[in-house]
Amino acid sequence: MLKPKHFFLLPALLTLAAIILFPLIFTVRVSFSSWDVYQTGLDFIGGRNYARLFQDTRFWESLLRLSGMSFITVTLQYVLGFALALAVWKKMPGGRVFRVLFLVPMMTTPVVMSVIWRTVFHESLGPANDLLSMIGIGPVPWLSSATGAFISVVIVEVWQWTPFMFLLLLAGLVSLPREPYLAAAIDGASPTRTFWQVTFPLMAPISIGAIIIRLIEASKIMDTVNVMTSGGPGTATETPSYYIYIRGLRDFQVGYSAALSLAYLVLMIITLTIIAKLLMRFLVGKDD
Amino acid sequence: MAEITLKNLGHSYFPQPKSEEDYALKPVNLVWEDGKTYALLGPSGCGKTTMLNIISGLLHPSDGQLLFDGRDVTNKTTSERNIAQVFQFPVIYTTKSVRRNLSFPLECRDWDPKKISGRVAEVSEMLELDDILDMPARRLSADQKQLISLGRGLVRDDVSAVLLDEPLTVIDPQMKFSLRRKLREINRQTGTTMILVTHDQSEAMSFADEVVVMKDGRVQQSGRPEQLFERPENTFVGYFIGSPPINLFNVDVKGDRLNCPALALTDLPRGDLGPGALQIGIRPDHLNFSDPSESNAVAMVEACENLGIDRIVSLRAANGELFKVKSRLRQKIDVGSKLGVSVAHKDVLVFQDGVLT
Repeated sequence: MLKPKHFFLLPALLTLAAIILFPLIFTVRVSFSSWDVYQTGLDFIGGRNYARLFQDTRFWESLLRLSGMSFITVTLQYVLGFALALAVWKKMPGGRVFRVLFLVPMMTTPVVMSVIWRTVFHESLGPANDLLSMIGIGPVPWLSSATGAFISVVIVEVWQWTPFMFLLLLAGLVSLPREPYLAAAIDGASPTRTFWQVTFPLMAPISIGAIIIRLIEASKIMDTVNVMTSGGPGTATETPSYYIYIRGLRDFQVGYSAALSLAYLVLMIITLTIIAKLLMRFLVGKDD
Repeated sequence: MAEITLKNLGHSYFPQPKSEEDYALKPVNLVWEDGKTYALLGPSGCGKTTMLNIISGLLHPSDGQLLFDGRDVTNKTTSERNIAQVFQFPVIYTTKSVRRNLSFPLECRDWDPKKISGRVAEVSEMLELDDILDMPARRLSADQKQLISLGRGLVRDDVSAVLLDEPLTVIDPQMKFSLRRKLREINRQTGTTMILVTHDQSEAMSFADEVVVMKDGRVQQSGRPEQLFERPENTFVGYFIGSPPINLFNVDVKGDRLNCPALALTDLPRGDLGPGALQIGIRPDHLNFSDPSESNAVAMVEACENLGIDRIVSLRAANGELFKVKSRLRQKIDVGSKLGVSVAHKDVLVFQDGVLT
């Protein structure tokens, strides 16, 4: 029974419908159409876009590439972020300055930052090769070779998002209870044992949260790739979101890119759920 | 196991304390005998945890010395002192099984694995944890986790003392009783000195051979539970020990005798007391009801609380002073009715300026 109080829900419901439900349902509808630059309208072609998607090796390759890239970047971000957080966790001179400095990369606009890094990695003009030449290395084809471009994107991602890990893990560290550390000291545990037996297990829930958030963000990597390599050379750094952008907004294959987006969304939800469960089991040992 | 001596031991959290007020623990001399159970009792912020942390080595005292069996350990680290400590909230290694939790301190000391498993079996049997040795420790109840914390201390054969920092706070009342009994049993079995920090007087009295009462960083009295109850050295101890607290009455000095108008006591010997504020203290348990028509002291009932077997009766004396009586009398007591009150002279304590004479 509708009562006056239910109308108070209306603004939130309308906002939800406008920004989530409508785009989602519309994308589902578009994915069953052949909407492109020649045929601009909502016709119905059944599951043809999805059938095409299964044979689109470029999409699956980009997905595989993204898996590798996410794994490497998030692992490095976690390890470096944790190490930095541990370094400034205990009171040390200038600790507060470091805390602020570490956050600068995260606060920079991704496109601006990518442009700067593209200059840094420029083969003849960039300071990266300049510095390497001083120790007799190079010149390294940073952005013109497949491996170099992949590594460059990884470096930039790690540089930009390690501070995020650092921030979350530091927040976790400062909120840890004191007693387990006192108990470990009384039990005679060495600093290494204390880290593995006390700090790491206590940090497991926040670590999982931070890793999952970063994996979600890493799966959307697009601006760095677009500015630095445009997915190249060839398709060496092409990620699914960049590929979907090419198909939808450069080739104007709107129907097909809608099917790609939905497939990608479903795959991401399934994969991230499995990863979260595995991390929970591995790090927290949650078996109930 | 060791005899623990606190020699002028005090601590201030200020780098340069200016007065005695700046001390969280005012300098104190105490000797704790080997193999006994002790309780540090006092309200929150009285310095008992500070004292415990100094003994365990988690805090370095600003003043004095700490001796274990006459050996100065003031500058020794926690692990060098061989202290075991159980905290208010159970501390376990969440990723390990009960067995691995118990063996952890021995692994840290590089014991032989065979020796470790033998020792763990011994301690787990004593703590009745042997059935759940292979369970993940995180799945256990709070009291079982607390037993594991204790077990990690007992498993070592070099423990000087077990320090218990309010370990029963998070335990259910039913389990509290059995865990306290278990601690006593372990003390009798192993002869390990145990020091319990608590603000619960019944916990302290039922656990310890000797209770140390503290207030504002100062040790007020140290003694056997019955001593603290029967002969509190000052009004604070009288007030803090016993439930309800001791009743304090005003007295008049008449020559060499003291009169207490509230209870119509006229023949209390004054002794050789000098000038100073005098009061008498009587435990609510030591006051008896009598027929108002046959009693010199008559008081009016203001409230009556039923505690099951006992009743706490709040009364107002004829001169307006309020006091309480703990009674097992089963007769009906109405609010507003009058009751006669009497006390044996041996149960009357005289305090001068708050100190027992």
